[in-house]
Amino acid sequence: MRTILLVAADEWRFWRRSRLAMLALGLLLVLVAASATLTALRVANEAEARALLQSEAEETYRSQPDRHPHRMVHYGHYVFRTPPPLAMIDPGVDPVTGQSIFLEGHRQNAAMFADAKTGATAGQLADMSPAVVLSLFAPLLLIAMGYSVMTRERENGTLGPLLAQGVSPLTLIAGKGLALASVAGLTLLPLVLTAAVAISKGETLAATAVFLGSFSLYLLVWCALIIAVSSLSARRASSLTILVVVWILLVLIVPRIAANVAASVAPAQGKIEADFAVLNELRSMGDGHNAADPAFEQLKANLLLQYDVASVEDLPVNFRGIVAETAEADLTAVLNRFAEERMATEVRQVSLLRSFGWISPALALREASMTSAGTGVEAHHKFLRDAEAVRFDFVQGLNRVHAEQLAYADDIKRSSDPEAERRTRVSSENWKVLEDFHFVPPPSDTRVEGALAPLARLGAWFALLFGLVLFSARGLKL
Amino acid sequence: MGEFALSADRLSVKRGGLLALRDVSFEVRAGEVFALLGGNGAGKSTTLLSFLGLLKPEAGEARVLGQSAHDNVAAARKQIAYLPEAATLYPHLSAEENISYFLSLAGLRRDKSAINAALERVALQPAARAQRMERYSKGMRQKVAIALALLREAPILLLDEPTSGLDPIAIDDFNILIGDLARSGSTVLMVTHDVYGACQVASRIGLLRAGELVGVFDAPADGRIDTDAVHAAFAGRAAS
Repeated sequence: MRTILLVAADEWRFWRRSRLAMLALGLLLVLVAASATLTALRVANEAEARALLQSEAEETYRSQPDRHPHRMVHYGHYVFRTPPPLAMIDPGVDPVTGQSIFLEGHRQNAAMFADAKTGATAGQLADMSPAVVLSLFAPLLLIAMGYSVMTRERENGTLGPLLAQGVSPLTLIAGKGLALASVAGLTLLPLVLTAAVAISKGETLAATAVFLGSFSLYLLVWCALIIAVSSLSARRASSLTILVVVWILLVLIVPRIAANVAASVAPAQGKIEADFAVLNELRSMGDGHNAADPAFEQLKANLLLQYDVASVEDLPVNFRGIVAETAEADLTAVLNRFAEERMATEVRQVSLLRSFGWISPALALREASMTSAGTGVEAHHKFLRDAEAVRFDFVQGLNRVHAEQLAYADDIKRSSDPEAERRTRVSSENWKVLEDFHFVPPPSDTRVEGALAPLARLGAWFALLFGLVLFSARGLKL
Repeated sequence: MGEFALSADRLSVKRGGLLALRDVSFEVRAGEVFALLGGNGAGKSTTLLSFLGLLKPEAGEARVLGQSAHDNVAAARKQIAYLPEAATLYPHLSAEENISYFLSLAGLRRDKSAINAALERVALQPAARAQRMERYSKGMRQKVAIALALLREAPILLLDEPTSGLDPIAIDDFNILIGDLARSGSTVLMVTHDVYGACQVASRIGLLRAGELVGVFDAPADGRIDTDAVHAAFAGRAAS
């Protein structure tokens, strides 16, 4: 171990005396630190702003005056997705999926206000999250600093004297690997500090450990690859060329190919196409605003039978409210089915994309990072489902008020009779059917469990490359 | 130490797919200075690397203190101080830093005064010792490598073209140094194509040609090896 540390320390001495190495390291550290600071500030501001907007939206809704409950169904309400603490490092899909939804009766609106479409933050540096910077550029730094760790010794002729001191090839390689791993560790430092802030904001230790572990393993994969290529290459130029080509393939090209393959194999309907499909199906259902719609004849007959009355005017409940409630339930079932189908397609696409993590460690890292941070597609789907639950509950709550607190006779003539219209206004106390919304990402255990598969992919990469390192040590020649 | 510090027993070694040594056999006694002479590509450096266990023999064996160098690499290297041909040390380090680092890799620690004494012994100017070696001449680098070999205090020295790049005065000083080391009990195996220098310091000279040992010259009890005879054999003609 002593010799390994000596070799590692000497490698650091070499880097310290190399302006290029220090410049590259300094640049990346500044970039990671800057992106960590800017992203953390941006996410913290957004979290605060969204929480404030959420409470303001709830306040606004509940402070509406007395009015007809169905007007409140259409008045609508906003819910906001507050980012989880680790979004300070990896905002995940948040910038592209939208962060709030307008909830109203009879519709499931898409999430909106995606930052990627609206942001003009700090020269776009804030969009370059620490997760992106590390996954893209840390391997390049490691390549710049490590491509010659072994080829340099061979080309300079120092390999023979080193081995002649009794240093085994494996010890030499381990020392070089340790030095390179310590560079990787240094680049992770801003992440560790930001993760500590995330823990102070309520993130669990387990999720944070898995999150940081995935970045550590990713960088170790690159360290092992660089050491193996440098050990097996005869010249510095060939080592550098091989590593840069591999970086382009694994970090840039394979993820692009994976996204295209996923979109081709599991194609998603376009927005217009999907909306038409929904409309087509809804057209066969009754209009909830029209109690005379033939689609509700059976409902009417059942109610008359149930309450043993001759006409809807004699019902103890407002037939229009019952129709609205029934129509909303039927419509929601259809909308939910389409939404679940769309989400299932997205999950299929994401699963296909993720399976490319066996080919690209950058993809495996992205999955592990977003899943453990709670900023992946699963978290977004949870937001959509949570928001829909809120929408359905308050709309049906209002429909229930409509059915139980409004007289049918007043309701049908409220457009022509001002007195009837006044009597159909219910107390604003009823707006309290709207529950407070605070989005919470999937629980820590679920996120940790979800990150195990991509971690296993990174582990497989590391095991494979570690084997290659051992092989290169056995075959280390002068 | 046994009778033979180093021995090559029918040693054949391939390098780059070609047979660089063929059936070479010789012994170096403890306390002896043995020089291997030969032209470029004769197999001189390959012989040294075989004793360091850095090359796997195709056939035969290179032994250090009676043990196979290839099978007992760590044990063999502990007994050996090796001076490579190109005196390749780290250009980003000073002479003192290089020596200190390489010694520590060998598990040795020498204080600054011992390092300075060794550098003094090889006549490296004091002003140059703290400078990075990237500014050193070839001769200066060679001196540092020799100082490192001396500080190893190993019983066996393997020297690959040790006087290459040295000026005539430094070569004379080096030859005196080798003589002193041999008298103090060190075993020296040096490879060179400097016939004159080899005859000055070696008690025996082996002549390698195209990977084969074609002759061994012994110094008479009362003097040095006949330079003319060795030169003639090296050049491939009979001595006049």
